[in-house]
Amino acid sequence: MSLSVTLAHRFPGHVLDVAFEAPAGLTALFGQSGTGKTTIVNAVAGLLQPDSGRILVNENVLLDTTRKIDVPVHRRRIGYVFQEARLFPHLTVRQNLHYGRWMTGAKVMDDAQIIDLLGIRPLLSRRPGALSGGERQRVALGRALLSAPELLLMDEPLAALDDARKAEILPYLERLRDESGVPILYVSHSIAEVARLATTVVALDGGRIARAGPAAEVLSDPDVVPALGIRDAGAIVSGQVLQHHDDGLSEIALSAGSLLLPRVDCPVGDRMRLRIAAGDVMLGRVRPDGLSALNVLPVTVESLRQSSPSETIVKLRAGEDALLARISNRSVSRLEVAPGLALFAIVKSASIARRNTDGSAG
Amino acid sequence: MRNVLSIMQTVAVWLGMSLAAGLASAAELTVFAAASTKTALDRVAQDWRTLTGHDLRLSYGGSATLARQILAGAPADLFLSANQTWMDVVEDSGALVPGSKTSLLGNTLVVVAHGDHAPIDPSDLPNLLGNDRLAMGLVNAVPAGQYGKAAFEALGVWRDLAPQVAQTDNVRAALALVAAGETPFGVVYLSDAQVSPNVSVVATFDATLHPPITYPLAVIAQADPTLAQEFAAYLRGPDALAHFLELGFTPPAPQ
Amino acid sequence: MTWLGPEELDAVLLSLRVSLWATLCSLPLGLWVAFLLARGRFPGRQLLNGLVHLPLILPPVVTGYLLLITFGRNGPLGRFLEDTFGLIFAFRWTGAVLAAAVMAFPLMVRAMRLSIEAVDPKLEEAAATLGASRVWVFLTVTLPLIAPGIVAGAILAFAKAMGEFGATITFVANIPGATQTLPSAVYAFLQVPGGEAQATRLVIVAIVISLGALLASELLARRIQRRVTGS
Repeated sequence: MSLSVTLAHRFPGHVLDVAFEAPAGLTALFGQSGTGKTTIVNAVAGLLQPDSGRILVNENVLLDTTRKIDVPVHRRRIGYVFQEARLFPHLTVRQNLHYGRWMTGAKVMDDAQIIDLLGIRPLLSRRPGALSGGERQRVALGRALLSAPELLLMDEPLAALDDARKAEILPYLERLRDESGVPILYVSHSIAEVARLATTVVALDGGRIARAGPAAEVLSDPDVVPALGIRDAGAIVSGQVLQHHDDGLSEIALSAGSLLLPRVDCPVGDRMRLRIAAGDVMLGRVRPDGLSALNVLPVTVESLRQSSPSETIVKLRAGEDALLARISNRSVSRLEVAPGLALFAIVKSASIARRNTDGSAG
Repeated sequence: MRNVLSIMQTVAVWLGMSLAAGLASAAELTVFAAASTKTALDRVAQDWRTLTGHDLRLSYGGSATLARQILAGAPADLFLSANQTWMDVVEDSGALVPGSKTSLLGNTLVVVAHGDHAPIDPSDLPNLLGNDRLAMGLVNAVPAGQYGKAAFEALGVWRDLAPQVAQTDNVRAALALVAAGETPFGVVYLSDAQVSPNVSVVATFDATLHPPITYPLAVIAQADPTLAQEFAAYLRGPDALAHFLELGFTPPAPQ
Repeated sequence: MTWLGPEELDAVLLSLRVSLWATLCSLPLGLWVAFLLARGRFPGRQLLNGLVHLPLILPPVVTGYLLLITFGRNGPLGRFLEDTFGLIFAFRWTGAVLAAAVMAFPLMVRAMRLSIEAVDPKLEEAAATLGASRVWVFLTVTLPLIAPGIVAGAILAFAKAMGEFGATITFVANIPGATQTLPSAVYAFLQVPGGEAQATRLVIVAIVISLGALLASELLARRIQRRVTGS
């Protein structure tokens, strides 16, 4: 199960030129707005005819401009979840869900399971006009899934929702990624969403691919920082719950040491991914003493990259994981930071990006 | 902005002037006349304007429409009708100056054919038409249609002919159908046939076959009678008659 | 309807038949033209728009005369249709249908065009991604969503056809039982002194039919609207 995309398209004012592979799992197209993410998804869906390109899903050619192959939208077997739900207002939720099956005749074996997974069974006889934003988006997800797609496309499916609604849907998306077995191409400009959901990240910048690869690698790569925007730079590290302390802190073991975090709601032994923002990491030449921060990890400097006239992103090696730290240029010269230098990283906070990284999640 | 204002000012002035003109013209002479008299009456009116310097307003329409408007109080000074019945209705309502009604003109009823065509006998029309139609004015309402129906009845062919008649709301429309070749034949007045280049007169009905064709003229009671009666007298005079005769009308049939 | 004379009843029935056929026949073409105007991007779109609206602007008598010289037995199209399909408009009730359809066409297209422009093309895209071909997208998404506009356009056209006079009498004259529609009959009655009573009866019938049609369309459109929006 995989997707292969090569595209070139010229717009008035800018150019899109990309090539990437999306393996099984969720591949996030990530970048600032206007970098061509939606264009790529629309070209995969067949809603946009690119100047040239080649798109394959599981060895099936959907588009090959050199061979003049262009499979029409309705034969591409694509499930597309749009930013706005785009439910058919004249049909009930049930009819919306079954629309794909009417059109293609394709049957999904476990449609009852999908309806339960999304928690939309109580909505079946209602009409879209009577649903909340979160309910609508879940129905849209179900509708795309029940058309038995070979590939799911999602273009900012959460962008129109507030944080509460997002929190409502994110778990469904995680289960979808882990249980449906359908590859997902996911467009987002939110680092939190991408860090939580993505298996693979394709970072776009100005119509070109800045970096593509496994999520942890790409999101920890300081070279990608300009594409992500300085505020969003951060590293993904993997950890395991070691112990829950009586004072409300949980101890998480990393490859380079352990972190104390506010109570994590996972049983001891669970593996997880943590995201540590570059702005939350300070550097010191000696192990600090007399600081309120609890979490100190020994690290080695790998590389430096000036991210703005006054700041630098430092890529660090912490055991088997990579860390990013954003410090001022003045600190760089004062600490004489250079590749190979051993330092101590003070981690002010970390957020859990993804739970249950065991098993099929890949 | 200044332009818009000046345009609005111009429009307002123009509207005001038209309104004033509308009010002032109540004192002028207004003639309601049957549409079929237009060509001739326009010429007569032009002569009268140059002769007397008085102004004339001519309102042409179907006799029924004009009669209803006069009954409803339209500001007409003279009524020239193509339809005796409607003139009688106006007279009965008391809208006429008593004794002012006279028969001004007569006309001749003819059969016209599209393009050049040899003369025919009107009694042969049911055979000549085949599947085609005969254009006539409304046979129960438009005078030319009524006269035509009477003539065909007198000839004994109306029963055969009736289903093939395409009736029009006025006699000029019947003429237009023949001129366009949509119907091969039509029944119209000689005065109408003379103004259309695409038709030829192929038969003339004997005047005894139908009631006399007459164009009654009367002065409306509400008018300033002197000017209206002056123009009525001019219409009956030889100069006006010459124009009418030239266009195919006849002097009034003896009553 | 016993208080209507045979000639009056003929006129009413003919008008109903003419209006119904005029509406039904112009529906597919009207829908197509409405789509062209709403969605089409081609040179000459404004020209087509103007052409469609022409009967609304021209005096009906002029429209009737243009029909006469185009679709009459000597008109280029009239002769072609008669020779090829045996279809004759001149002085037949079919001609009254054509005149009524042409006069009602702009109203029908306007209502449909507005409803088409209100349909979000994104819904049609969504249907395509779910496996619906263009035909199915039209049948299952577009058509149900524009149904209220189609109903409104059809009823407007029907009402306009019921009242059409100028173009009809100019094109196909006034032949009792063949082309004497309700307005033609009213006109003919009004040309005769004392014809007011008959005319009035027909006017009442015309008002009842037109108001009934408008009321029915309003109810139908509202019901469809409720079904479509689900509110």
